Amino acid sequence: MSIMKRHTILEKNSLLLTVSILVVVSIGGLVEIVPLFYLKSTIEKVEGMRPYTPLELAGREIYVREGCYVCHSQMIRPMRDEIDRYGHYSLAAESMYDRPFQWGSKRSGPDLARVGGKYSDQWHMEHLINPQAVVPASIMPGYPHIAERDLEVNVVRETLRTHQFLGVPYSQEKIDNALADLRAQANPDSEGVDALLERYPKAVVSDFDGDTSRLTEMDALIAYLQMLGTLVDFSIYDNKANLR
Amino acid sequence: MADASHGRDVDELSGTETTGHEWDGIKELNTPLPSWWVWVFYATVAWSVVYWILMPSWPLISDYTKGIRGHSQRALVAEQVAELQAFRAERGAGLIDAALEEIRDTPELLTFAMANGQAAFGDNCAACHGTGAAGFVGYPNLNDDAWLWGGTLEDIHQTILFGIRSAHDETRFGDMPGFGRDGVLDREQIRDVTAYVLSLSGLEGPTGANLEEGAVIYADNCAACHGDNGEGVHALGAPNLADAIWLFGSSIEQVTESIANGRAGVMPAFVDRLDPITAKSLAVYVHSLGGGQ
Amino acid sequence: MPDGTVPAEAYIDDQPLYETPKKVYPAAVHGPFRRFKWFVMAVTLGIYYFLPFVRWDRGPNAPDQAVLVDFEGRRFYFFAIELWPQEIYYITGLLVLASVVLFLANALAGRVWCGYTCPQTVWTDLFLSVERLIEGDRRERIKLDNGPWTPKKVAQKATKHFAWLMIAWWTGGAWVLYFADAPTLVRDLALFEAPWTAYMWIGILTGTTYLLAGFAREQVCIYMCPWPRIQAALTDEHALNVTYRVDRGEPRGSLKKSAGQAAKGLKTGDCIDCYQCVHVCPTGVDIREGSQLGCIQCGLCIDACNTIMDKIGKPHGLIAYDTDVNVGRRAEGKPEVFNFIRPRTLIYTGVLALVGSIMLYVLVTRDFVDVTAQHDRNPLYVELANGDVRNGYRIHLMNKRAVPRRFLLTMEGIEGAELEVVGNDLEVFGNPVIEVGPDSTRDVRLLVFAPRDQIPSKSTPIRFRITEAETGESATTRDFFKAP
Repeated sequence: MSIMKRHTILEKNSLLLTVSILVVVSIGGLVEIVPLFYLKSTIEKVEGMRPYTPLELAGREIYVREGCYVCHSQMIRPMRDEIDRYGHYSLAAESMYDRPFQWGSKRSGPDLARVGGKYSDQWHMEHLINPQAVVPASIMPGYPHIAERDLEVNVVRETLRTHQFLGVPYSQEKIDNALADLRAQANPDSEGVDALLERYPKAVVSDFDGDTSRLTEMDALIAYLQMLGTLVDFSIYDNKANLR
Repeated sequence: MADASHGRDVDELSGTETTGHEWDGIKELNTPLPSWWVWVFYATVAWSVVYWILMPSWPLISDYTKGIRGHSQRALVAEQVAELQAFRAERGAGLIDAALEEIRDTPELLTFAMANGQAAFGDNCAACHGTGAAGFVGYPNLNDDAWLWGGTLEDIHQTILFGIRSAHDETRFGDMPGFGRDGVLDREQIRDVTAYVLSLSGLEGPTGANLEEGAVIYADNCAACHGDNGEGVHALGAPNLADAIWLFGSSIEQVTESIANGRAGVMPAFVDRLDPITAKSLAVYVHSLGGGQ
Repeated sequence: MPDGTVPAEAYIDDQPLYETPKKVYPAAVHGPFRRFKWFVMAVTLGIYYFLPFVRWDRGPNAPDQAVLVDFEGRRFYFFAIELWPQEIYYITGLLVLASVVLFLANALAGRVWCGYTCPQTVWTDLFLSVERLIEGDRRERIKLDNGPWTPKKVAQKATKHFAWLMIAWWTGGAWVLYFADAPTLVRDLALFEAPWTAYMWIGILTGTTYLLAGFAREQVCIYMCPWPRIQAALTDEHALNVTYRVDRGEPRGSLKKSAGQAAKGLKTGDCIDCYQCVHVCPTGVDIREGSQLGCIQCGLCIDACNTIMDKIGKPHGLIAYDTDVNVGRRAEGKPEVFNFIRPRTLIYTGVLALVGSIMLYVLVTRDFVDVTAQHDRNPLYVELANGDVRNGYRIHLMNKRAVPRRFLLTMEGIEGAELEVVGNDLEVFGNPVIEVGPDSTRDVRLLVFAPRDQIPSKSTPIRFRITEAETGESATTRDFFKAP
């Protein structure tokens, strides 16, 4: 029996075949995934990354809940035309606090990795309520309900704690002040703004939906959108040191 | 119809050999592929070895194999972006000698200036004036048609280069004194003149104010810079007080604050930070936002 | 396991894993089908090799090559038609048409595409005729391949492969001519000044042509092409297919054997088992086994068999285009019927006519001007000193004609609104006139000023229209005017 024909041994023993398939397939996975955990060259050093503020995190939960990732990716690939349109290509470090990540591989809508600060809060507000009211050719559905719904603020501490458990470095101070920070970010006139900016540098403080009297899901979602891709300071990011 | 001597079983109907497998009388025909087919498969396996040698592939303990081609997607894209920028800089070379009006009126130069200006605006101006140049309280909206220091192309270019109340020697400079802070006007006079200034654009002033008094105080203290009817003077950076646009806000508190303590917004000089092409592009871009005169 | 068979394990192990290679040596053949194939080959190859050199005058601002895929300029030129990238749906329509034509042809006369016009068939035919010219016909070629490596054999083989490579190289060379100005590219290629991509593609296509037409040949049809599999599912009993008439041919036997059988009063068929039909077949199949995947229905076996029938004094048509229905009817002694008008062919023709007319209509009525608008997103609107409101837009104008044109830009939706295009001084009655270069696009920044008391709502639907004064051609796009 030649070596090629020994295959019949595997074909006739289903358990042996199952185990062999598992071994072969896991080699592929291990070789591709495991090195990412220990290779220094796969982790770039960047300045400016911080965990999400409580309001941004709440907005992110809504982003995930509404399935925005189904049509919008958050990963600018290192290709000339993409960089020209969206800005600097995304770095792995920029999603270091993402649980779960929002990279995506399908774009029915544009990439949102650096949408932060690009458009006005008002534009986002009108666009989310009725996309065709600002972009007639858009195929995006409207999300008017998030402008109506009050933000569920009581779970924010638990949300932060969950992310802490998953490895996001939220300090006890941040968790304790979560609710205050959340309210401060949506009201530029409030007293907690300085403390918020102390804990979360570069946080955008604004009256996102144009109504300070209420804290809606719209506030949270726009706060999240307006910070996307704005944390890393690319003027001091060393492209050359991170070539790969 | 087995031919036991050769260990072959041939299907009668098709004349094709079977594999010997049979289920309920249905036999599996053996129609093997030509061997070149499997050689193509081996060739792809061989190609993977070539690929390992050429391209980055295997992880090692502290690094990974780089491949003899030295391929790097990030280096490649950096090169392509640099090429693009060089190409654009070449297109922008025409801006150096062109007058600002010429840039605006020549479609090729305008296209370049708009793109270049927009990018430079995001890097340098958006922090104060907002990414869409709509401004904030204290930071002028560059989209509207109210200009403190003039909205022609030259005026805008001048402001970008040398700033306002900046550290540069050629900076634009205007002084709005704090009439209350300096003791020029007392509390009641400030109330009266606040009411008068608000009335210029049809707004409601503080209760109990004397408009006639306010008019007299205005004529004595304010008209020199802001004009007899509050129309403002570009040369001094004195804003129009009779229109619907208020840089520091139009509430009674905000206007009172402006009169009592004065205002002195600062715009830095960019002459040393921007190259001439970018400064011109910015001027044309800001002018094109809509407010340009 | 039925009686008489040995256990599977006993022989599965020494069965060959791969098919024994069997080289096909198609013999020369003469007749109407062969002549028709020569004709089709001349026409299709003539088109392929010389079309890039055909000129078509489009004026000074466009290339004068009749068929040109201009990647750099992002245009596709086909005689009087010029397509822009966003009109790629014409290609989709063309593919739909092509597949329906294929289905219709299949319903009428089987694999006519495979037999006569498929590039694999045409180039294989060309390579075979070159091979025959240099190495001789079937018998000589078999002898040559089995014989020792004499200098004559080396010379013949070398000549053949050189000739094949030349044809393959020319094939690759003609391909790249569709992507650039042909005469210029020919000159650049000769002077080694052409872009490296041109040489690369010539190299790749030389290689594939040489391999596919010189060596892979029938293997492509049998193992690589999906169409034979699909075709088998699409054909029906009324479709004309190249068929061996079993009723007339069987029982087959050599002339001598048949004579002997006839003498005994037994039935004899017309097939004299001469194997001419097998020898001339480019894919090496035996048509007498019936319709099969390997048969490309080129009709060469019909020519071969008819030649033999002439020699033995029997009527033509032992192998002929025939339908399954008629095979059955003849066996029952009924007359033949040819039924081309069937639901299947009617539906295919209907779909063909429908898709064809839609495409023709869209092509004839297509616009040579287009406009799109993009509203400013930051800020949405600007309040002016006098209380009026201004909105900013990016207007994208497309001029698909090869001459510069001027368009009047107007807006509907708000009374008294004024338009101003940045850096554009041309205007007629206050409406901007924008010039767009030949066969190109232009982006302009548009500012719309509306008096406060004329603005009906926070978001007013408006419509921009661009019109060319001379021709009256126009295009519109919808957008909104935003106000506080």
